[in-house]
Amino acid sequence: MTNKEERDNHRPSINPVLAHLEAIATGIKWLTRKPMTLMYPDMEEKKPEYFRGFIIFNYNKCIGCSLCAQICPPRAIHMYRVPGDKRIRPGYDAGRCIHCGLCTDICPTDALDVSPVHDEVFEQIGSMDFDPVEWHIISKKLVEEHAKRKRKLVITRVDEEVGLRYEPVE
Amino acid sequence: MIGRELGQRDGYRVVELYIGPQHPASGHMRLVVYLDGDIIVRVDPDIGYVHRTMEKLSEIREYVRVISLIERMTIIDSCNITLPFVEAVEKLLGIEAPPRAKYLRTILCEINRISSHLYGLGIGGIFLNHSTMFMWGFGDREVFVHLASLLTGARLTHTYNIFGGVRRDLPQGFKDEFLKAKRYMLRKLKDYDKMFFNNPVIRGRLENVGVLPKDKAIAYGITGPNLRASGVRYDARLLGYAAYSELDFEPVVGKYGDGLERVWVRLREIEMSLDLIEQALKQLPDGPIFHERYAKMVPPAMKKWFEKGRVKLPGGYVRLRPRKGEIFSRGEMGHGEVTYYLVSDGGMMPYRLRIVTPSARNAIMFSILPPGNTLMDLPAIYGSMDYFPPEADR
Ligand code: SF4
Ligand code: SF4
Repeated sequence: MTNKEERDNHRPSINPVLAHLEAIATGIKWLTRKPMTLMYPDMEEKKPEYFRGFIIFNYNKCIGCSLCAQICPPRAIHMYRVPGDKRIRPGYDAGRCIHCGLCTDICPTDALDVSPVHDEVFEQIGSMDFDPVEWHIISKKLVEEHAKRKRKLVITRVDEEVGLRYEPVE
Repeated sequence: MIGRELGQRDGYRVVELYIGPQHPASGHMRLVVYLDGDIIVRVDPDIGYVHRTMEKLSEIREYVRVISLIERMTIIDSCNITLPFVEAVEKLLGIEAPPRAKYLRTILCEINRISSHLYGLGIGGIFLNHSTMFMWGFGDREVFVHLASLLTGARLTHTYNIFGGVRRDLPQGFKDEFLKAKRYMLRKLKDYDKMFFNNPVIRGRLENVGVLPKDKAIAYGITGPNLRASGVRYDARLLGYAAYSELDFEPVVGKYGDGLERVWVRLREIEMSLDLIEQALKQLPDGPIFHERYAKMVPPAMKKWFEKGRVKLPGGYVRLRPRKGEIFSRGEMGHGEVTYYLVSDGGMMPYRLRIVTPSARNAIMFSILPPGNTLMDLPAIYGSMDYFPPEADR
């Protein structure tokens, strides 16, 4: 931390010519460094543990307690009646979900879980609203597809020189 | 920009100029500027374009659902803005977060503060057409967003503080990542000084521009770095909420109160926050991260998650009923001090939640700083204020 005296004269007067040169030299110094940009569509970041992407649902573990629907802040989860099932089951509107992960925290049976899938594209708004059975199917499909992605997978690390670097994952 | 001639004032022709609501740098607000030649005679900030009725919406949501609502006021600073609310409800519930949770909250708060300052500096840079500062601010912010996503699992809207603790424990390897980030940032801040703070162009644009004297800053209730830049030693963290009472820090206080000083305070506060996180990581106590009253109620099969550093919530958590009462709480955000006034009628939802955000308090600066300066200085003043419209409008 800066101490008190230093703060009192923290704004030394500058020499306009030298300060300009110094700014340009700093710019040139950083020109020669590697950029910290993640080349996204070609590379994909391996997300940290418990990263909160698309919420995946396992129909078979669900006990129909509806706690997830009660806690969901934007009401992205609604309870449905499924023909041939005595209990009510949750359906999911991915368009409303804010990925807070609270539903996965309150689910007493781990029927809900977070997944690293965060960039799935849906063509129509209506196709983002899943009833319980559809949710179970799309969850399975997304997780399987995600595991099979052909993009170069990298892991983000803090780097002392350039801020962030991306290490390939085997 | 739309301008029209307004007529005569003291023998001079006055022009009325509309800037916004879509404007080139950040935010959604409009400034109505009255000009005499090139000199600003009056500015009327027209705010409210992103008003989302946060206070009203929180009255129809259970307490736990309010957390993820109010963090949307300032998503770049979401831990700082939810913490005072969470602490207020905890007081009404009669619980206190375990020490480890308090430290973790502090760590995330400071990470958020750094990213908020870098965001503000970047926006301030692009206001002055200094694109390097814009790129650097936003690039380096990514380092801290990455640290936050390691800790919480989300980049911006963490929903990390919950009543009774936090949702995730410190992940393995976080400390090393942070120390690397600290060394990187301290070195980079020297370059910030060379590239931005001591850059003759920036000096020319910001020095002695938009001077806010100490007495005016106090009289108008300005808050945060803008207040400290005017020489007032006030920082809500000194009240010692979360773990701040156990950490050693001295708020950064400037003295000149001009635009450059506000930038300087932010740059030095980044250093201070880095230091605070290191202290907190060093002193981090062991123990639970969630209050045992709720941890006890979690179904036995789910207890395994606590060992893996992840909190599970009990079923009754949605229907929390804090006792009847009124409570006032405050906290220091990146932009300044946020205050909550919570009235509970003993029900499942707040009866009334009054929120005063720092940007709402700082918006008055648009009226008091620019008059007397030239039109060219207006973006410089705006940029140096770190004003965040969605936060002000709530
Ligand atoms: S992650 Fe949050 S918003 Fe999304 S379904 Fe779960 S509780 Fe609702
Ligand atoms: S909380 Fe879990 S078990 Fe209960 S209804 Fe939702 S998914 Fe099913």
